[in-house]
Amino acid sequence: MATLAAPARATAPASTQSGLWSWIATTDHKRIGTLYLWTALAFFVIGGFEAVLIRTQLARPNMGFVSAETYNQLFTMHGTTMVFLAVMPLSAAFFNYLIPLQIGARDVAFPRLNAFSYWVYLLGGVFITLPILFQVAPDGGWFGYAPLTTTQFSSGPNIDFWVIGLQILGVSSLAAAFNFITTIINLRAPGMTLMRMPMFTWMSFVVQFLMILAFPPITVALVFLLMDRFFGTTFYAIAQGADPLLWQHLFWVFGHPEVYILILPAFGLVSEVLPTFSKKPLFGYNVMVYSGIMIGFLGFGVWAHHMFAVGMGAVADSIFSLMTMLIAIPTGVKIFNWIATMWAGEVRFTIPMKFAIALIAMFTIGGISGVMHSSAPADLQQTDSYFVVAHFHYVLFGGSIMGIFAGIYHYYPKITGRFLDERLGNAHFWLNFIGMNLTFFPMHFSGLLGMPRRIYTYDAGQGWDLFNLLATYGTYLLVIATAVFVWNFVRSRTRGVIAGGDPWGAATLEWSIPSPPPEYNFAQIPTVTSRYPLWDLKDPSWHEGESAHGDTGTPGPSPLREETETHTAKALGIPMPLATAKPAFTAIGLVVMFSGLLFLRNDLFAVAMTVTLGGAAMLIGGLYAWLTSPLE
Amino acid sequence: MPKLSLRQAAPTALAAVALLALSGCGFTEYPNSTFNHHTDFNTSIDALFQRLLFWGTIVFVVVEVGLVYTIIKYRKRPGGPKARPIHGNAALEITWTAIPALILVLIAIPTVKTIFETQAEAPAGALKVQVIGHQWWWEFRYPELGIVTANELHIPVGRTVEFELTTKDVLHSFWIPQMGGKRDLISNKTNYLWFTPNADLGTSAWNGFCTEYCGSSHANMKFRLYTVQPDEFDSWAKHQASPAVFSATPAPVTTPVTTPVSPVAQVTGADSAAPAPTAGYVFPRERLETEFPHVIPQTPIPAGLTFDDALLAGGDPARGANEGFMLGGCIGCHAISGVPGAVSEIGPNLTHIASRHTIAGGLYKNDAPTLARWIKNARHMKPGSLMNTIGRGEYDPILKTTNAGGLDDRQIADVVAYLLALK
Repeated sequence: MATLAAPARATAPASTQSGLWSWIATTDHKRIGTLYLWTALAFFVIGGFEAVLIRTQLARPNMGFVSAETYNQLFTMHGTTMVFLAVMPLSAAFFNYLIPLQIGARDVAFPRLNAFSYWVYLLGGVFITLPILFQVAPDGGWFGYAPLTTTQFSSGPNIDFWVIGLQILGVSSLAAAFNFITTIINLRAPGMTLMRMPMFTWMSFVVQFLMILAFPPITVALVFLLMDRFFGTTFYAIAQGADPLLWQHLFWVFGHPEVYILILPAFGLVSEVLPTFSKKPLFGYNVMVYSGIMIGFLGFGVWAHHMFAVGMGAVADSIFSLMTMLIAIPTGVKIFNWIATMWAGEVRFTIPMKFAIALIAMFTIGGISGVMHSSAPADLQQTDSYFVVAHFHYVLFGGSIMGIFAGIYHYYPKITGRFLDERLGNAHFWLNFIGMNLTFFPMHFSGLLGMPRRIYTYDAGQGWDLFNLLATYGTYLLVIATAVFVWNFVRSRTRGVIAGGDPWGAATLEWSIPSPPPEYNFAQIPTVTSRYPLWDLKDPSWHEGESAHGDTGTPGPSPLREETETHTAKALGIPMPLATAKPAFTAIGLVVMFSGLLFLRNDLFAVAMTVTLGGAAMLIGGLYAWLTSPLE
Repeated sequence: MPKLSLRQAAPTALAAVALLALSGCGFTEYPNSTFNHHTDFNTSIDALFQRLLFWGTIVFVVVEVGLVYTIIKYRKRPGGPKARPIHGNAALEITWTAIPALILVLIAIPTVKTIFETQAEAPAGALKVQVIGHQWWWEFRYPELGIVTANELHIPVGRTVEFELTTKDVLHSFWIPQMGGKRDLISNKTNYLWFTPNADLGTSAWNGFCTEYCGSSHANMKFRLYTVQPDEFDSWAKHQASPAVFSATPAPVTTPVTTPVSPVAQVTGADSAAPAPTAGYVFPRERLETEFPHVIPQTPIPAGLTFDDALLAGGDPARGANEGFMLGGCIGCHAISGVPGAVSEIGPNLTHIASRHTIAGGLYKNDAPTLARWIKNARHMKPGSLMNTIGRGEYDPILKTTNAGGLDDRQIADVVAYLLALK
């Protein structure tokens, strides 16, 4: 890292300080990752609460627990919260915390931009969530189809919050994507070629490109909607002849890569956990990398499988059916490679391992129902029914969430220096596994037995009663599971069994430093000579006789050594990014600026201008101060 | 010793068996099932689905058994074999890429074939039905037969019906699970869907749903389909195309409004100059109760809406036609063929409303007490309803005002009597 001129007034890097301000001004990727983790878990609980209300309403026919309007807000917010405020940021928590550690770097390429991404996420999340307390939460579905979302059919502020909130959140994701791409390309330790990178970093790398390419289409779609709602344009105005499919195509060109954004990090985490607890290298590393890239690439060619019922015509339906089937191949290949990783290994059933194995089992089910959807005519029975709700919850909960929990249990000791409690972890795992299946498996049945989705109630005697009741019971099990987890997560920070630098016997760089890592990460940036540097260090003959795994055979100039002592960066003379609240300030400016738009629809033009210009001033001022102050 | 094996395998295996078993499940317990072969369309779709289920089950068993076997056999145990540092195997990679690809080819070919078959032009001579979506009710027109109706469809068995799907407002989707797949109604676009109910299908009643989220009462936008024998259809169609049975000339009511609807002609208050038209075929209400209870709406009347039911028996249809129907503003939205000035297409056509079994977008039963409450405060009965709150003193939840004017219960009883005379 280049060293700039030392500032006249030296401030200690954030990670050696404590207190609220040190968190607001942090530029340390580990702290930012921790902020993402806590915030995302909070939103996961909120989204889960919304699901509990939904499932309580659907427990019985004509339940009358919530009104139609409330229900429509609940299912919209449940989807929006889980996708944008829970799962993506949980992945971001790992991108932040883990990528620099895995590649042997001291921080990300743009530490202040990193902080900015977090604050924009937090403020955007609050912006889009707060309205539910005033019963004006977005109610157009998480997918917000036009023309329902135009002012003609949604005249309240609900959709305004949705459009503006998503635009704000998009800024956060895009900034992070640029950051991590630059980090991974530029800041890898010497000797770490791309094909020696840990799988989590590889999958995350693919995900960043997906974000850069997928977010612009939804940004365009949202800009059109924003212009329609606030400035009277007619992109989606049906009276002026608009085609609602414009929204759908733009949304799903984003929306399908988005689901790969949601799953690939979890796949990456599983690819870290399985080898560790099989005591074997990942089977087919090259194929795993290429299949990840293929999934990312092909993911841009399948979007209209969400639109098989709209009448695109036989040719389009056929092409998208075939492309969707095609993408099942690299996905299935991963499943086989994971099983092969455990084959002939010494499988240890730690909690992270249980979650990783559960992902393989559950994602397979979700993948099979996905292939069922790929056949367009069959999908005409399945789409918009509970069958598709079952499918995507199997891949998102059984896939992404299970994978993320595997990652949390695996990396909690690294982050906090203590293990999560084993008994509570087991209770969480089993309650989760049983709860998840009890909630979502019955939905395959209610869907194929004719139950539409996004309905706030249903009559008795339609063949759906038992399945809905079971699904609601399953949801309550998940509530208990989550409560157990939260209790464990909070308590183990101070009461957990102490873990060392490498509590699991793992292979990659992040396990060669103390737990929790020192602010500077590595006292000595190591030279990397293989994919499994720590295993090589501990037992150089471990892979004797087997084919090469990227090993040069000769140690580099500064070979890896296990670092067990924690110093300060200052003591070691390592320059670290300065703590600064300018990114947070700039983030506030951005959000305030966007919020000004809200006042336009209430004919409060002067207020709108004041708020927007005030926010813009903060944004530009903050940005200027940030860009003209030194990094370290 | 991990108990993962049994705990994991058992529920998933059971579920697979159950899913397969459901494929042949009974009609009465699962009246909206998508597995039945009542039409050519759904026969094709289900054939595809059975293939998908077959290969899906095989993949499921292979993967899950492989997974469970692996973690049991290679669990770490004292004295067990050491882990072998295997990095990969090219032959395996090729095999487990090629086999799934082959399975997908076996799915892809019938898929494309079925796509082209089901989206071909409808056969010549198909019965054309226009489906026009509204928030939150269904307008149905039979353009060749001169019929305009709402929320209840009749089609003859053994003849292809081609639906032409449009929407007046937001997106909706037309789905009768027992008949086949769905098709969306897209603003500024016309979609088509066709199928042929089997000729041997008995006269039956089916549920239809809107399956594209369309706002507050998306869940309440339901419809009914009656597949009937060709002669029943002709009778129904001929009658539906005729003007209203009850004209607006004041005449004594000859039958009480509470008699059940039956196919036998009920002549009430006919104009003295013209011959009384006979009522056409309607699906027998008794059969609904005994054989098709799932098409009978069960929506409870929301609390807070009262009506003096005793007034219903004394409702005067002539007064309802001349007074209530006008004063209540009904004529502003509802067309009744034969009533001058009642030509609005904003709301459902009411020419033969009494021949229907449901009201309010298939949401409530079509009987006097329910109809009275619906007229009194539709917005209370159906969230977001665009029909005004008409009852005097009733609170309008959308405008958030209480009606100073409006119809009183006696006037509403008259309108109900009038509507129930429109057989």
